[in-house]
Amino acid sequence: MKGFLNAKGLIGIVLVSAVLLIAIFAPMIIPAEFATKMNMRARLDPPSLEYLFGTDQLGRNMFYRVMLGARTSLTIAVTAVAMSVAIGLPLGIISGYFGGLTDNVLMRLVDTLLSFPALLLALTISAVLGPNLQNTIIAIGIAFTPFLARIIRGEALRVTQMPYVEAARAAGTTDALIILRHILPNIMPPVIVQATISLAFAILAEAGLSFLGLGTQPPRASWGLMIQASRDYLDVAPWTALVPGAAVALTVLGLNMFGDVLRDVLDPRARAGG
Amino acid sequence: MIYLLNRSVSFAITLLLISVITFAVTNILPGDVAMMIMGTQSNPEALAGLRESLGLNDPLVTQYLRWIGGMLTGDWGTSLVFKEEIGPLLLQKMTASSLIVVMSMTIALTAAVPLGVWAAVHRDKWQDTASSTTALLGVSLPDFFWGIMLILLFARALGWLPSSGFVDPGEDFLRALKHAFLPSLALGLGLMAHLTRMTRATMTGILAQEFIRVARAKGLPERTVVWRYGLANAIGPVMTVAGLQVGYLFGSIIVMESLFNYTGMGWLTYQALLNRDIPLIQASVFVIAAVVMLANLIVDLAYVLVDPRIRLG
Amino acid sequence: MLDDPKPIVSIDNLRVEFDTGEGTIVGVEDISLTINPGETVCVVGESGSGKSVTSLSLMRLVEFGGGRITGGKLEFRRTGGAMQDVAKADMDAMRDIRGNEIGMIFQEPMTSLNPIFTIERQMTDGLRLHKGLGARAARARALELLREVRIPQPEQRLRQYPHELSGGMRQRVVIAMAMACEPRLLIADEPTTALDVTIQAEILALIDRLKRENGMAVLFITHDMAVVAQMADRVVVMYRGNLVEEGPVSQIFENPQKDYTRALLAAVPRLGEMTGKPAPEPMRIIGAEARAQPVQAPRPDAAPVLEVRNLTTRFAVRGGLLRRRIANVHAVEDVSFELARGETLSLVGESGCGKSSCGRSILRLVEPTSGSVHMDGRDILALTRQQMRLARRDMQMVFQDPFASLNPYMRLKDQVAEPLRNFGLARGNDLTARVSQLFDRVELPQSYLRRFPHELSGGQRQRVAIARALAANPKLIIADEAVSALDVSVQAQVLNLMMELQADLGISFLFISHDMAVVERISHRVGVMYMGRIVEIGSRAQIFENPRHEYTRALMAAVPIADPAKRTLRDDLRFKPLPSPVHPLSYAPAPSVYEEVVPGHKVLVPDH
Repeated sequence: MKGFLNAKGLIGIVLVSAVLLIAIFAPMIIPAEFATKMNMRARLDPPSLEYLFGTDQLGRNMFYRVMLGARTSLTIAVTAVAMSVAIGLPLGIISGYFGGLTDNVLMRLVDTLLSFPALLLALTISAVLGPNLQNTIIAIGIAFTPFLARIIRGEALRVTQMPYVEAARAAGTTDALIILRHILPNIMPPVIVQATISLAFAILAEAGLSFLGLGTQPPRASWGLMIQASRDYLDVAPWTALVPGAAVALTVLGLNMFGDVLRDVLDPRARAGG
Repeated sequence: MIYLLNRSVSFAITLLLISVITFAVTNILPGDVAMMIMGTQSNPEALAGLRESLGLNDPLVTQYLRWIGGMLTGDWGTSLVFKEEIGPLLLQKMTASSLIVVMSMTIALTAAVPLGVWAAVHRDKWQDTASSTTALLGVSLPDFFWGIMLILLFARALGWLPSSGFVDPGEDFLRALKHAFLPSLALGLGLMAHLTRMTRATMTGILAQEFIRVARAKGLPERTVVWRYGLANAIGPVMTVAGLQVGYLFGSIIVMESLFNYTGMGWLTYQALLNRDIPLIQASVFVIAAVVMLANLIVDLAYVLVDPRIRLG
Repeated sequence: MLDDPKPIVSIDNLRVEFDTGEGTIVGVEDISLTINPGETVCVVGESGSGKSVTSLSLMRLVEFGGGRITGGKLEFRRTGGAMQDVAKADMDAMRDIRGNEIGMIFQEPMTSLNPIFTIERQMTDGLRLHKGLGARAARARALELLREVRIPQPEQRLRQYPHELSGGMRQRVVIAMAMACEPRLLIADEPTTALDVTIQAEILALIDRLKRENGMAVLFITHDMAVVAQMADRVVVMYRGNLVEEGPVSQIFENPQKDYTRALLAAVPRLGEMTGKPAPEPMRIIGAEARAQPVQAPRPDAAPVLEVRNLTTRFAVRGGLLRRRIANVHAVEDVSFELARGETLSLVGESGCGKSSCGRSILRLVEPTSGSVHMDGRDILALTRQQMRLARRDMQMVFQDPFASLNPYMRLKDQVAEPLRNFGLARGNDLTARVSQLFDRVELPQSYLRRFPHELSGGQRQRVAIARALAANPKLIIADEAVSALDVSVQAQVLNLMMELQADLGISFLFISHDMAVVERISHRVGVMYMGRIVEIGSRAQIFENPRHEYTRALMAAVPIADPAKRTLRDDLRFKPLPSPVHPLSYAPAPSVYEEVVPGHKVLVPDH
């Protein structure tokens, strides 16, 4: 298992850093028009030396589009998850640390929100606000918040019940300092793990939203949009679906592997013997 | 009995909260029902008149009360796109989608439980690695991507199954199953991967417990130790996770039914969202959330049957 | 010991290794021992000695925990009389031995039973497997077994689930299960460690009786020398995977050959050994004489540091839709006592008696329901949240679990500095100097200042916790089971440190413990708690030499004494299940009324 763990961690780190590098540098290296330039004579060309990943129905170079799509996906996923953590962290900590009525009311609300499927919530919000990049982020961010708030609340509650928090209280530490010095550092590892795994889900959600036309809008390159566009040409040009599908899969796989390894490394409960 | 009563009242309160949230989310829409009915180019006076007659100028609370009142008395309004009564429409589509949800859950559980147990028993061996890797791949692929692959394989290349359309199970059950199979399988694969990981984690925890060691110390065969003593304790937690996944499924059917042109609840919701059919959006979002809630309630109640410790509480 | 020609177990040069992520760990390096029919062999050692691994190897259960037997022979005499090396036996043969020829019981009665099967199902499956009994015959045998382990209403128990039984009852069921097929060897792995002392006495007596009645051999694994003294015919002392010393119980206790055994025995306090002594005494540590003598009894006229009057703490049992309070747990019920400067008052009792809640209530870590707590004449319960925070400067706490009471992500110096910062007592260089003084004070090297908790052993962590409690120069330290999780030699060192600090600094200790022998050695005064109340309170001599309350007597009779010449195991099994402390909201308990036997010695008047 150790070998597998290392291999898994290595693959995860390689995949995640590759996607990160592409997302950061591809738009700097590849001029935007490369991805939008249509070539009607080269429509649905299979992968070749000239077109590494083939071309789409408008003769656009799939390689460039996939590379540029990385930034769209990652921007949306990272910002949306950052938003849910930013909202979920204070809510979860307040709920878990102080308990009582606040906790009851907040968690009842969170539980209710959790019975809305996250994708449905995101789709509805996106449809209501009008689909564009910013609203996609808001939609996914809001849809993921209840889940993260729940997790964070659980962690905060667990840590609050630890003897070292009671010891800090007995040592005259104020609530604010207890949260800052004792609760926060101790809930961060599991929260980081959850955030990593949520990133994977956010990438999937963005792809789903864009696939339905309620996420990223054309002509911006997005993996979900590319898969949607491929639907009518599956028989003649399967690569138009396979290439962006593989891009999503590899990114999510990388994040999941990275998250699993992070859990093994960071989460004290996963560590044998403490 | 008191437990049951408690849960029911709690369910009713949550339902009420669901309706408030649904109503609130759909009311931040720019534009309103009157605009939808008359079109954006319509005469402002006629629009104002329609608004007045629809009660859109009333305070939001009044509008909400009127809406929830209608829902309670069975008057769910009319869809702007389909020009049909929403109540019967939802009932029909919900039935269609239930077929997919039940089928995909069945597929997922049948495969995930044995796989997860197997991985937990052979923890850290090649069997675990194989099962974990497969599951990891499974959760990493978007389910619509599974859908496309299945269409390519079973519908296009092999021609075994239809790739689109819906057949009413009441008319021809076998054909209905055939049409529902591919979308169910596509959903089931992703779900299976997730449930396999969960089952493995749960079983790993259970197999590390003292009573498992006691069972072994009694000389019981490993088969009995794992599949009776172990699994019996895992059923509850796995069931709970599966119940929570009903929500995930009802999100995913929106994508999957559109991909397969399967005219169920997901397809209907998608049409409503695309066309900003506000009464239909409100009703379907509410119904989906309520069904998800109900599924979890049922799982909670079923937990009582598999775990004697709950009876007292 | 004479070599018995026909031992039932013969272990030769056993070696067990564990493969972990960080490489191979040797669990047992080299162990040889024999067990003769009908004798009890106690394997004793501190944590990490490999005693449990040895017993699990004999059952070949060690493999399920990731261990491997890499050397030696483990011979067991099968029913036919032939010796079989179980290290080489196949799994079919092992299954035939397990539960059939060797029975085993484990430490945790709360988790030893499958929570979702009935007692009947769990008691009969072994019988049906090994003895081929039908459902009816197996049930009859299960009933017989439950009667044999003296469980009341056995018919009803069979239908019940584990969570409906108390801890002591569950351990009886586990023992009955292990006895089901009349094994010739019973392995008991710390079977009473998780139990209260009165229940421990019952279980020990039960195992001893079953052994005598069935002529069965017992391999008894424990860390507790007092239990060894009560149970063993022969003793095997282990340390870090190796055998230290082996011999008949009287020889080991009276004439130990090895320094390790001597040190281990010296550190164990023996109940009753303080009789006639006027003041507490330091723990015996061979090779390290205590530096300061413990404080003599404090002056009786001194004004008390802490004065607790009619303290009552109830926890809400919530239920129903609105999660309203539907009942109360009466954790602390009308408790009064005072504590003088430089004095140690011990609150002693079994789990659930309210001793911990009492300590927490005084610090207001839980909010008391009523009563008053005066610290140096100031009413603690009347303080606002902010005032209370500052008042905690005078009263600090040391918790039980040294692994959980330090923040894993904070450097030790910062944890010790926390009270100093909170109360603004020092800053800058002064703060650094104070913290390093505190490390000196608790005898921790300065190099530990920048370390994190996981780099320390349990005893070292507890020293850090004490340093933290000392930082603000408190007048009172509440030590809640502060040494219970430590190995006996470490426990002795930490206790001596506490007594030194008291002598040097005049600190008062409220020492909360379940360990009667430790309490007898270190206390000036003792309060015995039962069901939330103090049933008896007085000086150490009054309580231990002249116990008046029925419960105090029962408690003392149950304590095992680390002296094989004073065996207290008796077969009179009392079943006095603890009454529930949960009462409806309307329940108003009577006030505690005490009778003063002699000045300072009060006994709760029964019947209320």
